[in-house]
Amino acid sequence: MIEVAALTKRYGPTTAVDGLTFTARAGAVTGFLGPNGAGKSTTMRVVVGLERPTSGTATVDGRRYADLPAPLRTVGVMLDARSVHPGRTAFRHLTALARTHGIGRARVDEVIGMTGLESVAGRRAGTFSLGMGQRLGIAAALLGDPGTLVLDEPVNGLDPDGVLWVRRLVRDLAAEGRAVLLSSHLMHELALCADRVVVIGRGRLLADAPVAELAADGSLEDAYLRLTAGAVEYQGRAVGEAGTTAVGGAR
Amino acid sequence: MTATTAASRRARPTAHRPADAGGPTLPRVVAAQWTALTSLRSSWWAAALTVVVSGVLTHLSAQASSVDPGFDPLGSLTSGVVLSQVPPLVLGVLVGTGDFSTGAFRTTYVAVPRRWPVLVAQTVATAAFALLTAVAAVAAAVLALLPSARSRDIALDLGRDGTPQTLVGMTLLLTAIALLGLAIGALVRRSVPALTAAVLLVLVLPVVLLLATDLSTDPLAPATGGVPPAVAVVNTVVAFLPSGAGALLTADVVVEGAPDLGPWGGGLVLAAWIALPLAAAALRLRTRDVV
Ligand SMILES: Nc1ncnc2c1ncn2[C@@H]1O[C@H](COP(=O)(O)OP(=O)(O)OP(=O)(O)O)[C@@H](O)[C@H]1O
Ligand SMILES: [Mg+2]
Repeated sequence: MIEVAALTKRYGPTTAVDGLTFTARAGAVTGFLGPNGAGKSTTMRVVVGLERPTSGTATVDGRRYADLPAPLRTVGVMLDARSVHPGRTAFRHLTALARTHGIGRARVDEVIGMTGLESVAGRRAGTFSLGMGQRLGIAAALLGDPGTLVLDEPVNGLDPDGVLWVRRLVRDLAAEGRAVLLSSHLMHELALCADRVVVIGRGRLLADAPVAELAADGSLEDAYLRLTAGAVEYQGRAVGEAGTTAVGGAR
Repeated sequence: MTATTAASRRARPTAHRPADAGGPTLPRVVAAQWTALTSLRSSWWAAALTVVVSGVLTHLSAQASSVDPGFDPLGSLTSGVVLSQVPPLVLGVLVGTGDFSTGAFRTTYVAVPRRWPVLVAQTVATAAFALLTAVAAVAAAVLALLPSARSRDIALDLGRDGTPQTLVGMTLLLTAIALLGLAIGALVRRSVPALTAAVLLVLVLPVVLLLATDLSTDPLAPATGGVPPAVAVVNTVVAFLPSGAGALLTADVVVEGAPDLGPWGGGLVLAAWIALPLAAAALRLRTRDVV
């Protein structure tokens, strides 16, 4: 279970996360939504101890990440598919990671099998496609058989088959009683796999509710667009609009 | 709705296992770093190059001087040691920067959130790998002397005065240079600036300093018996640079104007060059976000 309480993270003048509070409960998939730059990845990096909060706290099973005795066995993390040395094979990458926690070869082979990477496990990660890298990231997250998972855009770059597989995987993981925090921009996907969604904009909490409740009158996408209407920082324009006066909102 | 069904089926597979059964202990992190180091082609290239450079340069040098009347094969033993420091230096830098120059640091420090064991483990793994490489490189240097020695019917006596110290000193020097590279790499984190800094410090700076004094001292000036002060200053500075201190490991050389540190003193100076950037890197890891 992940508990984020009054979390603020600043980078110089930028406030990436601003007094955010939410919980990702055990036995549920918590969807983490928000426009580009809303602070989702930053929140996740603070949760897994790569960065320190400016103020507030983030805990997993009641402890700060850095205080977990066996982090890999408690939290499975996939932040960015490019968290691998490109010169290392998938197998050796997972083996090195497994050895930090005394996890054996059998489990390494198992997660390679689960993610469908058998045929490329001996290839250097630098030669992987986006989707293969993403699968390797998921394999690393599953390695310690953790009770909590933190997945940053896990379906980004996956083929339709892979998207379906991740949907089933996270549902199964939650059904086994694990807590899954999953960020995504794919509303249809989240509507299918999340139990609850936490929506943030400009680092602040906009909504924290069951999917069923948010999507009660319309789709999850409608609800999301309504919620984040005032918090979109990076807005594209139609080709015809280019050069004309922006209609509104920040550029 | 799904949440309730999930909760009712709750069966947490991790519950039966003590949570700290398999944490990142130091020996485990060392094992992981050894796997990480040996799984990169660059490490093996560096090892092979160290041995080849050491053997080939020593062979060429011995071959060239074997025509001298008073030829002593062992006199060529250290002739490859300066250039064979380059691959271990690069190896160390690449181990030190590898995580940060690629994004692999996220995987590494999520697994070991206390962070400092990673640096210790990298030091141990690099030292072990570089030591094995150095032993092979020194063996190659000895073997490379054999053809020229045989051509003059000279038997190699490795037990002769000073030779054991030279052999051990060369091995330690090559190992220490890899650790110096690691320390610089871990502190700087980006490969190109770290490599540049390491090469400048170890190879370029001493040469430039010595050349500068050579040019500034007038060779035609009458010998006054003493060492010119500029030369003494430069020699002293060079003796405290990694290369100068390292040279003291391999032979009892007396450099004019420089304090006589001896092999132990030289070793200590070199150790300080490794320890200080490593300590700074550890402090940065401890106090800052890893990004
Ligand atoms: N290391 C950093 N230094 C400075 N600013 C940063 C840093 N990391 C993130 N930011 C800023 O923090 C804000 C939040 O970024 P973050 O990556 O958390 O957003 P996000 O919600 O994950 O966006 P996306 O949907 O595009 O992945 C952005 O304004 C970003 O520029
Ligand atoms: Mg992000």
